[in-house]
Amino acid sequence: MSEDDLTNEATVYSIYIASTPQKVWDALTKTEFTTKYFFGRSVESDWKKGSSWLLRMPDGRVDVKGLVREANPPKKLVVTWNIDWAPMPLPEAIVTYEIEDLGTGVVRLTMTEDHPTPIPAKLLEGGRKGWPMILSGLKSLVETGKPLPMPTPQPPKELQK
Amino acid sequence: MSFVYVTYIYTTRQKVWDAITKPEFAHRYWLHTNVSDWKVGSRWEHQHGDGSGKVMIDGTVLESDPPRRLVMTWTRPDHSQEPSRVSFDIEDYADGLVCLTVTHDRLEHDPAMASSISGGWPKVLSNLKSLLETGKTENIWLTKNKEG
Repeated sequence: MSEDDLTNEATVYSIYIASTPQKVWDALTKTEFTTKYFFGRSVESDWKKGSSWLLRMPDGRVDVKGLVREANPPKKLVVTWNIDWAPMPLPEAIVTYEIEDLGTGVVRLTMTEDHPTPIPAKLLEGGRKGWPMILSGLKSLVETGKPLPMPTPQPPKELQK
Repeated sequence: MSFVYVTYIYTTRQKVWDAITKPEFAHRYWLHTNVSDWKVGSRWEHQHGDGSGKVMIDGTVLESDPPRRLVMTWTRPDHSQEPSRVSFDIEDYADGLVCLTVTHDRLEHDPAMASSISGGWPKVLSNLKSLLETGKTENIWLTKNKEG
C-alpha cells in the first residue's frame, strides 16, 4: 500500500498491567494520571454516554475532542476522536478501550482505533507510533507510580501548519 | 504477513539484550526460555520452562549485534511448516528509555502460528517490561493458552 492510499485499517494494541480494572479506568479518565503519560495532556468529561470529552494540550489548546459513545466503568470506554488542530478536516476515528480482569492481579488493556471513514495511510502513522508510547507510559505509571521520561513526538509533517 | 509489537522500557539496551538471550533471565518473564551461543549461524532453542529441556521452538540465528539487534528463524520442532522469522530491535529512544520492537514475519505459511504469536508477544513483552522496571513479573500464564 502506498502512503497516499486511503485506508480504514484499524490499529490495535494490547498491554498487560499488574493492576486492577478500576485503577486502569482511572488512569484513562482522570487528568491527574493522563498528564503523566499522555504527553502532558489533560482530559475533560463526566464520562457518561452521550457527553462530550476532550484532550487538552499542556499549553491549553484542544488536541482531540469527541463524544462518549459507550461508558461501562471499569470495563469499556468508547469515544469518538476528532483531531482539533489539523490544517485540513480529518474524518472522525473511534477509539475503544477494553479492560479485562484476568483474575490473577493482572488486567489486559486493549486499545482499538477504528476508521469508519478511510484516511490517508500516512496519517495513520501518528497513531501507530503514538499508542505504544502512551500505553507503555500508562503501564509504567500504574505499576511503579512514576512516569516514563517520554518526549512528545512531532505530528506528521502533513498535519503541521 | 507480519506482526509488530513496540514497547518502551525504562532500562538499558544491555539489560533488554540479556533478558532475551540469557536463559535464567528469560525464564522469569517468559513461560519458556532461550538457549544459544547467539552467534550468526548458530542454532537456538526455545526450551520448556519446566527444566526438561523440551524444545518448543527452534531455529537459526540470522543476525546478532548485541545489544542492538537479534534476528532468528522460528521453526516448529517437527518442522511441519516453513520457518517464520523474529527480529528484535533495541534502540535508545530518550534519556533512560529503550524502544524495543519485535517483528515476527514470514508467517504466510503458518496461520495457526500467526494467531498464536499475536496473542503471545504482548504477554511476553508486557512481562519483560514489568520485570525490568519493577523487578516483578505478572501472573499472566495461568489464565489463558500458553503460546509464545
